[in-house]
Amino acid sequence: MQGISLQHYLVLAALLFSLGVFGVLVRRNALVVFMCVELMLNASNLTFLAFARDAGMDVGHLPALFVIAVAAAEASIGLAIVIAVFRSRGTVNVDDIRTMRL
Amino acid sequence: MTILFYLFAIVTVVAAAGVITARSAIYSAMSLVLTFFCLAGIYVLLLAHTIAVLQVLVYAGAIMVLFLFVIMLLSLGEPAGPGKVTFGRVVGGLSALGLFAALVIATKPFVSLGGEPPPRFGTLQSIGVQLYTQWLAPFEAVSLLLLVAMVGAVVVAKSRV
Amino acid sequence: MLALIPNPFLDPFPAPESIASLLWVIVALPLAGAFLCGVLGKFMGRANTNFLACFTVFGSFCLSVCAVWAVGFQSAQFISPASAQPVKYALWLDVGRWFSAGDFSAHYGFYVDRLTAALLLVVTGVGFLIHLYSTEYMEHDEGYWRYFAYLNLFVAMMLTLIMADNLVLLFVGWEGVGLCSYLLIGFWYQDTEKAWAGRKAFITNRIGDFAFLIGMIFLVLLLQATEAMGRSGQARGNFMEAGRARAWLAAVHDQGPLNTEVLREWAYRMPVNMGQRTMGGVTLDSAITEGPLKGRTFGHVLTAALLLLLIGAAGKSAQIPLYVWLPDAMAGPTPVSALIHAATMVTAGVYLFCRLSFLLILSPTAMAWVAMIGALTAVWAALIAFAQDDIKKVLAYSTVSQLGFMFMGVGVGFFWAAALHLITHACFKACLFLGAGSVMHGNGEETDIRRLGGLRREMRWTWATFLIATLAITGIVPLSGFFSKDAILHGVHVTEIEGFPSVPHIVYGLGLFGALCTAFYMTRLYVLTFEGKRAADAKLPRAHESGFRMVSVLVVLAFLSVAGVLWGIPGLVPGPEGQKVALMEGYLTPSFQLADRYAKIYKTVVHEESSPLPGFVIAWAIAVVGGAAAWIVYRSWLPSRAGKPLPAFIAVPWRWARHKFYVDELYEFLFIRPFTAISNGLYKVLDAGLIDTVAVGGTAAVFRRVGGWLRYTQTGNAQSYATVMAVGLLVGIGAVLVWVHPW
Repeated sequence: MQGISLQHYLVLAALLFSLGVFGVLVRRNALVVFMCVELMLNASNLTFLAFARDAGMDVGHLPALFVIAVAAAEASIGLAIVIAVFRSRGTVNVDDIRTMRL
Repeated sequence: MTILFYLFAIVTVVAAAGVITARSAIYSAMSLVLTFFCLAGIYVLLLAHTIAVLQVLVYAGAIMVLFLFVIMLLSLGEPAGPGKVTFGRVVGGLSALGLFAALVIATKPFVSLGGEPPPRFGTLQSIGVQLYTQWLAPFEAVSLLLLVAMVGAVVVAKSRV
Repeated sequence: MLALIPNPFLDPFPAPESIASLLWVIVALPLAGAFLCGVLGKFMGRANTNFLACFTVFGSFCLSVCAVWAVGFQSAQFISPASAQPVKYALWLDVGRWFSAGDFSAHYGFYVDRLTAALLLVVTGVGFLIHLYSTEYMEHDEGYWRYFAYLNLFVAMMLTLIMADNLVLLFVGWEGVGLCSYLLIGFWYQDTEKAWAGRKAFITNRIGDFAFLIGMIFLVLLLQATEAMGRSGQARGNFMEAGRARAWLAAVHDQGPLNTEVLREWAYRMPVNMGQRTMGGVTLDSAITEGPLKGRTFGHVLTAALLLLLIGAAGKSAQIPLYVWLPDAMAGPTPVSALIHAATMVTAGVYLFCRLSFLLILSPTAMAWVAMIGALTAVWAALIAFAQDDIKKVLAYSTVSQLGFMFMGVGVGFFWAAALHLITHACFKACLFLGAGSVMHGNGEETDIRRLGGLRREMRWTWATFLIATLAITGIVPLSGFFSKDAILHGVHVTEIEGFPSVPHIVYGLGLFGALCTAFYMTRLYVLTFEGKRAADAKLPRAHESGFRMVSVLVVLAFLSVAGVLWGIPGLVPGPEGQKVALMEGYLTPSFQLADRYAKIYKTVVHEESSPLPGFVIAWAIAVVGGAAAWIVYRSWLPSRAGKPLPAFIAVPWRWARHKFYVDELYEFLFIRPFTAISNGLYKVLDAGLIDTVAVGGTAAVFRRVGGWLRYTQTGNAQSYATVMAVGLLVGIGAVLVWVHPW
């Protein structure tokens, strides 16, 4: 444990989060975008756990648990939507799915 | 410990980079699985044993399997060509970079890693006790959420009969 | 309201003062007639409308006769609110307060003294005759109901003007007649030129009205300053008679400062110069110490107010510099020209000064100005009339010229003479105009006198009445115009105005020259129209005489032109100082009492006593010479030179006179064009440019642009929305980092 400060974990989480943001904003495939969202959720999980460890209160693990559950629910619904979109448009390229345009 | 941390950290980062840069969706999914595994290891280093196990079981085991199912079902695994470099994408990339910088700056005051954790820190017993007593309501809410998600997924994805 | 109508069964023989309660009917009748003709005229049909319009004016005429009869008695009197003294030979009906604002109030009241009574007869009598004439003249016109509505409204407004008991109500009538004049000049509004003539009249009048208004405001301030100084004790010496002074101080608030009686009392209180100064009081030379006029003397402000009123009167009565609308006003129907621009409306300016004679007398400067303007106008218009070929234009300039004579009379303090000339002029000028209308009617609406001629044999009645009226206007004994005009000239000759020694002499010279010119151009008009052979390029080969209605009116007016002489013959009745004076002068003495008294006491104008006979002979000789010269020129000299051009010394001034000395062009250049340029500039720069384009259009354009830019943020692409969110998050985190400084 010597040498690994809280800051290391937090920086790692920040890095993962930024990579996830990058992926969400740059990738064209909707599924990959989803995966990057999961990446971001994991980064926030890591932050939660690091702080819990630092404070010595394991109640901080519960939000992480809930995040995992919510991520599961979200993934299922999101993938169902991707399937429905693929059925009606034939593509999952986000550039081609622009129904909200004015 | 330090070595383990750096090992897991580097692999995590490389795998995450692989997620966002892979040409094919399947490669992204596999990289993500690797990321999850390494993250689970880091969770163990943080003495969050329960969460680490749940990460492997749920995330890497269920969610990624679901992803791979969809990818295979819709045959989305073909490698796609290079993407268009639009103004929005450039801004997105730059903002991600800025976000990283900001977050790193924000972590500056957090230096130490606290003292010895209490016994049974992060064990299933400890988590369970809190989950079923103090945090029962959110627990039930999450289960309701999962029920809704299941129903919703069925409704959205089923084809017209 | 019913209580105002006396019950004939209770009062078997009405006392003269009871007529006062009926004064409002005189105005109400034509007003109701105007309303009914305007609203229901089309449904009533031509005959009914004609009857209704004539009937209302005839009703007013009958009541005016009653009023004239009433003020002949000394028992017709009322207690003046301004002085608590009885005012004799006058009737007053105070209907009530009209409005009040702070210290100022105005009432709605009718005041008839002998001057007003004389004018009432003229307005309603000549008005009725002209209504009768119009029924035949306008019988082919489709808009007859509109015509009679306007004509009745005009009569109502003119009656309001002359019967008003304060200047505010007078101004209402003043503006009302201006409005009706505009409506009637532009009666055939489909013709643009005629409509513009109406507009020109209205705008020129308006300039005068503006000056009138400012003058009235000065008078209000003057009276309020006097009242303030009286209350504060600075003018104690002017308010010695306690009861009378109290009445005045109350009346200034109650009746309003512009009430004629209140003004008259103010003039009574204000001695002119130091010689008559009362102890502890103020004179016209002292300075005002209260109110917005602080620092100026009473006399200067009064002169300024009267000069402004002069500009107003010049606008209404067509004097220099605002006479330019009257010749253009001939675009209206001829009976309108006869009524409005000969007999009634244009005399409003003269009436105003007669009404305010007691104020005018206090300011020699104003009197000199009035006389000079009158004389200059008389000559100027006469010179223009020399070269006009349109029969109505000649008569229009003749009206301007005669009005100048009336102003001359007013300016030298001979108010009765101006009033007499006003009345006689109304008769013969109306006769001339209506005769011209008859000529036009019988010759296919021909107005150019070069294309007429020889009507003496073809239109006998018109010829006879026109001849009589022409002789009257040129001033041939024994017709009425002679005595009235020469009373004025004699008055000018014998007057001295304090501070302006040369003015009466200049005015007299100009007056004589004006009389000469009058004789010349009127005879020219008569000769070219009626004498000689028919012109070669006439419209119709034979003229036809007009119908009974028109001819009978002409005959009545010609008769009045002759009969009016009775009022002007000097030396018939006893006057104010016991000497024998003309009937009119004696009749109007009560109206001008204060003015005469002041003239004697303060010597602002001095009238020598001298026999009028030498003046009469000179004037008569001038008239004969002028008429004879015109006869010779147009009967023998010009026909003998047919084909040869005129000699240069005649031709050049002739051309100038024909073009009205280019006054209209001068006004156009000096005033109208810069004004139009400024208006256009303001319109282009401010209105169209700044307000429309920049402010209104610019605001819309800005919103359109910005909206257009913002539209591009709605891409429909979820990723771009996420990008925006990420940028927002970044900004938020950055803000927190900057403000909270966790590092």
